[in-house]
Amino acid sequence: MTRSPLYFALRRFADNKAAVVCGVILLTIILMAIFAPLITQTGYEDQDFLTEALAFPSGAHLMGIDDLGRDFFARIVYGARVSLTIGLSAALFSVVIGIPLGAISGYYGGVADWFVMRLIELFSVVPPLLAAMLLGALTGGGFVTIVLIAALFGWVQVCLLVRAQVKAFREKEFVRAAQALGATPGYIIRRHLIPNSVSPIIVGFVLAIPLAMMLEASLSFLGIGVPPPTPSWGQMINVGMNFMYFYWHMAVFPTAALAITVLATTLFGDGLRDALDPTLKGR
Amino acid sequence: MNQPVPIPALELRSLSKTFYLPRRGSFLPRTTAHHAVTDVNLILPQNAILGLVGESGSGKTTTGMMALRLVQPTSGQIHVDGTDITHLDHVALKPLRRKMQVVFQDSYSALDPMMTLSQIVAEPLHIHAQGTPAEQIESALAMMERTGLHRSYGSRYPHELSGGQRQRVAIARALILRPSVLVADEPTSALDVSVKAQIINLLLDLQAEMGLSILFISHDLSVVRSLTDTVAVMWGGRIVEQAATETIFADARHPYTRGLLDAIPVLNPRDRRQRQFLTREQIQSQIPRICGPKTGQLVQVAPGHLVEAVQP
Amino acid sequence: MIRYILGRLISVALTFTVVSVIVFLMMHAVPGGPFDGNDMPVNDAVKAKLNASLGLDRPLHIQYFKYMWGVLHFDFGIPFQSPGETVLQLLARAWPPSLILGGSGVLIGAPLGILLGIAAALRRNTWVDYLASAFATLGLTVPVFVISMMLIMVFAVWLGWLPASGWDRPYSWILPIAAYAAIPMATYARYTRSAMLDVLNKPFVTVLRAKGISERRIIFQHVLRNAALPMITVFLPMFIGTATGSIFVEAMFRVPGLGAYFVSSINLRDYPLEMALILMITFMFCIAYLISDIVYALVNPRIRVGGRQ
Repeated sequence: MTRSPLYFALRRFADNKAAVVCGVILLTIILMAIFAPLITQTGYEDQDFLTEALAFPSGAHLMGIDDLGRDFFARIVYGARVSLTIGLSAALFSVVIGIPLGAISGYYGGVADWFVMRLIELFSVVPPLLAAMLLGALTGGGFVTIVLIAALFGWVQVCLLVRAQVKAFREKEFVRAAQALGATPGYIIRRHLIPNSVSPIIVGFVLAIPLAMMLEASLSFLGIGVPPPTPSWGQMINVGMNFMYFYWHMAVFPTAALAITVLATTLFGDGLRDALDPTLKGR
Repeated sequence: MNQPVPIPALELRSLSKTFYLPRRGSFLPRTTAHHAVTDVNLILPQNAILGLVGESGSGKTTTGMMALRLVQPTSGQIHVDGTDITHLDHVALKPLRRKMQVVFQDSYSALDPMMTLSQIVAEPLHIHAQGTPAEQIESALAMMERTGLHRSYGSRYPHELSGGQRQRVAIARALILRPSVLVADEPTSALDVSVKAQIINLLLDLQAEMGLSILFISHDLSVVRSLTDTVAVMWGGRIVEQAATETIFADARHPYTRGLLDAIPVLNPRDRRQRQFLTREQIQSQIPRICGPKTGQLVQVAPGHLVEAVQP
Repeated sequence: MIRYILGRLISVALTFTVVSVIVFLMMHAVPGGPFDGNDMPVNDAVKAKLNASLGLDRPLHIQYFKYMWGVLHFDFGIPFQSPGETVLQLLARAWPPSLILGGSGVLIGAPLGILLGIAAALRRNTWVDYLASAFATLGLTVPVFVISMMLIMVFAVWLGWLPASGWDRPYSWILPIAAYAAIPMATYARYTRSAMLDVLNKPFVTVLRAKGISERRIIFQHVLRNAALPMITVFLPMFIGTATGSIFVEAMFRVPGLGAYFVSSINLRDYPLEMALILMITFMFCIAYLISDIVYALVNPRIRVGGRQ
């Protein structure tokens, strides 16, 4: 019975109760988002209940009705779709950008590394939100733009993780053995270094998701994110603030939804990191 | 009658390596030169085992790495099976790399933890595109059996093996391409005594069977004694003595070599000789006053026995 | 050492220049100038004159150099939304709210976080530890506007103890400062806890205990000093980040600070103000990271004394 390194990682993860719980929560949210039409009675833009606008939660409407007569529960659930899609796509792009840059700068060092580090420095000193706002205003918001902007600020973390891993493994004897066999750097990176970087890559991916979701929610909150009527939690929080004093459900539900999702994803990512490579903990 | 001189498996001519280390504390980039290896000449004949011994920092590992062109020499030449490989570019070098392989000291980091054993041993075949994937795995399993591992181990991972078993895998990987030269850099240093013996016997068997030449780098003279035909002693980046193994053990001329021999632990207290532990200066002053054209030049004191000399 | 500092300075200057060029180009890539909006309809001739008077008709690179030259002299131009003053004056007016609230947030949150971290480390795996760690995790992962929202909901709407917005009375500062304090507190609690746990397990602490030194002295004199390094280096960037005002906190609590003005400058296409804000904040971050790196290099004996030898 042969046990690969990943098997042990799964075991360690299963021992971390908090992370498992968060994983379950995350899965629930994802499933709700996927099966949104099945669990909601109306669409997110159907203004069917204008006469009962701003009604409080009840048996018929689990989260009440918003100011434009739409079922709030439906808006929240479809809002999950928006947040999760943007989060996952942006994280995917971050990984696509971050892995090659991290691998190249970690393996070759020297000028390539210097260049990538300067690039990282560039993206570190600019406050991401301000730059995102500028870019958002420039391009007029919109789905794809937000994903790209979020990816633009998310790749740094992935790149640093991969770079550190590649640097550490580069000096190992099995890399030298491959070099002694005449393997090209490209082969070594592909076949040896990146598979051994699976842990940082997974961790980087999962932790990039809440960052992207936060960025989207922030932009939507400020009015330059996902355009209405597509529901976005950030935008709903913005609207909810105006009604906060009397109609608490308008503010609380989107806030709670966002907070829970971001929290669950982050803790899940932390749990993954601890399970995959206990030595990555601490920073 | 002129006998054709057989081409040595590996020949190092005047090999030197200098590292430039950055020196701290100044504004302009200044570096200190560290002469790791100076003017090393070695001939490893076909089908022979040469031991390269010395303390840590003597330059023996660097020499081995240069022989494989994993480290680029500052000056000198490397000849493998008669071909000068010193300045070949990557493309020209790749096919020649099949002739020279390596086994490292740390067997754990010498094997990719994410690959199965059969993948590891088959990788050289894969890199040099020999045979179909199925054939490659089959050859790998056969090679593993040859080094003493049952073929069912093929689907296991490195972390599941003991040090000795991992070293067998490393040897299998090194030999699967049938190289002419194997550079073994302290392959037994990290192993228990009993396992050491097994690996040494394995190397001897394989060497005889495959007609392989081995450059065996070690600091452990007792291991070297049981394995090698000739021994070269390195100290401070230079070769200070070189002779047939038994000659070294019986009649070492250089004080450093004698110091190494004295340091070998002896089991029976009655057999312990008077040991001498010398400092560097003492060694320097005791270098035999043998005539030689240059200080530090190797001089032949007997057929096949070279010792470093000083000017009289 | 000097080499290191000079190298970093050059790197910072390079980064800053690149950022300024990019931002400049981005802003001028937005179609439409300040006079193209619908709220100030002007005919073309007047628009041309207005644009010319602001120098908006010159070629881009000329505009850039003129601008950067001014920046070096602290002249950021005149904000479009408030032509009666210079950008610098507007910023001087807008910054204090952010600075006071944000700065207080950090200065209050960080020490609280450190104490929390110490408590957690000392009472490891007890309820104190779990509570503190949970708190720290929440502070870091829950977005700041969610925290602000919750603070408002609980303390202003539900309990009615504190005002939900406004900038006039110090009383109304409490909630915003609490919102700002969350991240520093959480960050420092985490750092302190893990650094202390690291150090407490080291052999030299056991030696100190064996020598009979009191636990308190051990903590404050020896352990904290070793653990201090990452906490020091992270302080300056964090302070800059918070003291420049969070857009959300200012929006939710209706504070007229830098963040609020940035939002309005984007909406009104107020180039001078946008540009100045981004440049200023980026510059401050550059300096913050530079100082942190230098402090780190100075304090870390391994870097200070030299490389391998």
